[in-house]
Amino acid sequence: MNFKRVAAIAYKEWREIVRDRLFFSLAFVVPALLMVLFGYGLSLDVENIPFAVVDHDKSAQSREYAYRFIGSRYFRFEGYAINETQAARLIEDGRVRVVLVLPPRFGRDLAAGQPVTMQTLVDGTFPSRAMTTKGYVTAINAAFSLGSIAQAVSQVTGLGRDAVLAQLTPVRLETRYLYNQSVASIWSLAPKLIMVILMLSPPFLTALGVVREKENGSIFNIYASSVSRGEFLLGKLAPYVAISTANILVLWTLATMLYRVPFKGDFGFFLGATLVYVLCTTGIGLLVSVLVRTQVAAMIVTMIVTMIPAVLYSGLIIPIVSLGSGARAMAHLMPAMYYTDIVVGCFLKGVGWAALWRPVAILAAYATVLYTAGYLLFSKRPRT
Amino acid sequence: MNDTRLWWMLALRRFSVMLSKELKQLSRDRVLLLFILYAFTVDIFLAASGVTLSLNNAATLVQDADRTAASRELLGRFREPYFRITGEALHDRAALAALDRGDAMVVLSVPDGLGRKLETGEPVQVAMQVDTTNSVLGFLATSHAQEIITRFGLESALARMGLGGGASANLPAVENEVRVWFNPNQEDSWFMGISEMLNIATVFAVLLPAAAMVREKERGTVEQLVVSPLTPFGILFPKVVSMTGVILVGVAISLFVVLIPLFSIPVKGSLGLFFLVSALYVFTTAGLGLFAATIAHNLAQAGMLSILIIAPMLFLSGAWTPPEAMPEWLRGLMLVSPLHYYLDIAFGVLLKGQGFAELLPSIAGMTSIGLLVFGGGLVLFRRQFD
Repeated sequence: MNFKRVAAIAYKEWREIVRDRLFFSLAFVVPALLMVLFGYGLSLDVENIPFAVVDHDKSAQSREYAYRFIGSRYFRFEGYAINETQAARLIEDGRVRVVLVLPPRFGRDLAAGQPVTMQTLVDGTFPSRAMTTKGYVTAINAAFSLGSIAQAVSQVTGLGRDAVLAQLTPVRLETRYLYNQSVASIWSLAPKLIMVILMLSPPFLTALGVVREKENGSIFNIYASSVSRGEFLLGKLAPYVAISTANILVLWTLATMLYRVPFKGDFGFFLGATLVYVLCTTGIGLLVSVLVRTQVAAMIVTMIVTMIPAVLYSGLIIPIVSLGSGARAMAHLMPAMYYTDIVVGCFLKGVGWAALWRPVAILAAYATVLYTAGYLLFSKRPRT
Repeated sequence: MNDTRLWWMLALRRFSVMLSKELKQLSRDRVLLLFILYAFTVDIFLAASGVTLSLNNAATLVQDADRTAASRELLGRFREPYFRITGEALHDRAALAALDRGDAMVVLSVPDGLGRKLETGEPVQVAMQVDTTNSVLGFLATSHAQEIITRFGLESALARMGLGGGASANLPAVENEVRVWFNPNQEDSWFMGISEMLNIATVFAVLLPAAAMVREKERGTVEQLVVSPLTPFGILFPKVVSMTGVILVGVAISLFVVLIPLFSIPVKGSLGLFFLVSALYVFTTAGLGLFAATIAHNLAQAGMLSILIIAPMLFLSGAWTPPEAMPEWLRGLMLVSPLHYYLDIAFGVLLKGQGFAELLPSIAGMTSIGLLVFGGGLVLFRRQFD
């Protein structure tokens, strides 16, 4: 390996990138812009859920029940519906996501000390939202139900309602939120966005860089030259790794400054581990570019291989434990999942090498495999 | 009269020549074709079979300092599908280390004297530490734990007051049956499968025409087209039509080979309407790709520009995260994304059985974006050669 040749290739590639002004600026603008858009847009908070009420009872109790939801900041009251048919249409049109159906005799049965069964319809089109919504509904219902029982018990025993309430809840849950004390969704999101964006942009840059030479035919200069395969690939990739390294710093700054996510870990460790990750994702681009012949194919293959798995199989939106077997296997095959552990650990948990050596080692092995495969499959005398 | 007919015949002939050129060019790229097939089958199968968006089995460590029947009863209620007790933490430091490593998500600590205090009616506190690095999971785990603890407390208090057991039926409790609609069992696979299919269609709809156009520019063959008697529309239209055809075939494959037979998605509406709207959607989205293609001078630029178009479209469409939670300005931005409308339409037709009349606003919105983008693209395309 002659490093002068590597440097020459790298310099040539760098000039080529820099002269293409639009491409050069896009290489920096795209990651930063995506970070801003997704940080604001991918919020997982569920608030202002539009809901309607079908009140067959129209008693004081049924109105009080509805008010528990109307007053909650998680729900947004859209009005009363006359019957279930009308309510069903509201859900179908997507105008409301939740409908409470209060049966006749709701108030009378409660006043008589009888249990009441009612129904809540939840729009299941978005399952994660439906789950969270169900959680809110259950919590509000439990609070109302407890109050109603307390009322009844206080009438029987003659104790005050508050005293009964205290007696009915002898066990309290003392919750301590670790790592993200205010349960801010942006804190858990922003570090993972670094993972997604570094999965999108470096492979794309790299794949296009190599295939471009193939399609233009300028790669025959390389085939005919004294530059070896390794020297060519190394020099070719260096500028893209450099650009991505600069992007790491940009993304880190956005996460800590714009989104104010605390960075509790060791910056040196973070930078090193992220560099290994970038080498991995660049390696994916390299492998794609060696396998395909046209830039069109390179673009599409890279995008399908990286973009969708980076979101679905990385723990960004769906935690790995909730994945089925096929998807979990997919997750373990992609570097994104391992890096998620690293980036979340560095930002929120403040842990370092001791807790995270395993994912870093896996990523390093991953990168080695990718580069070896790319090196072996790249031939200076391709069959055409 | 004769002139118009001649003009139409010529236009049709030119169209068919260009169409067959585009299709041939596409079919010669074997890797690409294979990959289109992969994306519309295996990839969608994986997404539909693999992903469940619900909280499953939060790994839980327990610390039981009480070791009475009551504490065992309480901890026994933390069970699947919400919690999975993985073991006992001997001391605080071990628990914290497990949380740090991510081996456990929840640590529950039952204090000494829980059983005794429950009998006397003294208040008692159960401590729970939750890893909230994932805020949604943290919230769900907390809310489930709260529910379990409240119910446990209520039952033991009622039993102590002599109101429990069979008599609990005579308390004015409100039993709320929550029914989730459309996907009664929260069949995530339907949702994930369909939205993955729409996402893949989007990726191809932006990339294929954009790439085909820029390739002509890069190789210089576009000059030949421009000096030919073809109009800009005559050049762009066959490109888009051929790509639309390929993508619709892909959608049909994924629908009839993967989603309907393997996941029994109930097609409640009209398939004809679905494909018609899909064609319209691909057309509209292709317009966005062509827009990028007219700005870009080479494929690398076109690629980066299409990421800039595709990624926000997919990520912010509302398929993966609730649109209600987005800030106002982003929601406004999403109104110009055709996927935003297509998602409503596709779910409406396939799962809800909605017809043309109900979907008219969405279809109109999508069409107007399409006309705008296509018109703009044509003007730009013409201008770059003047």
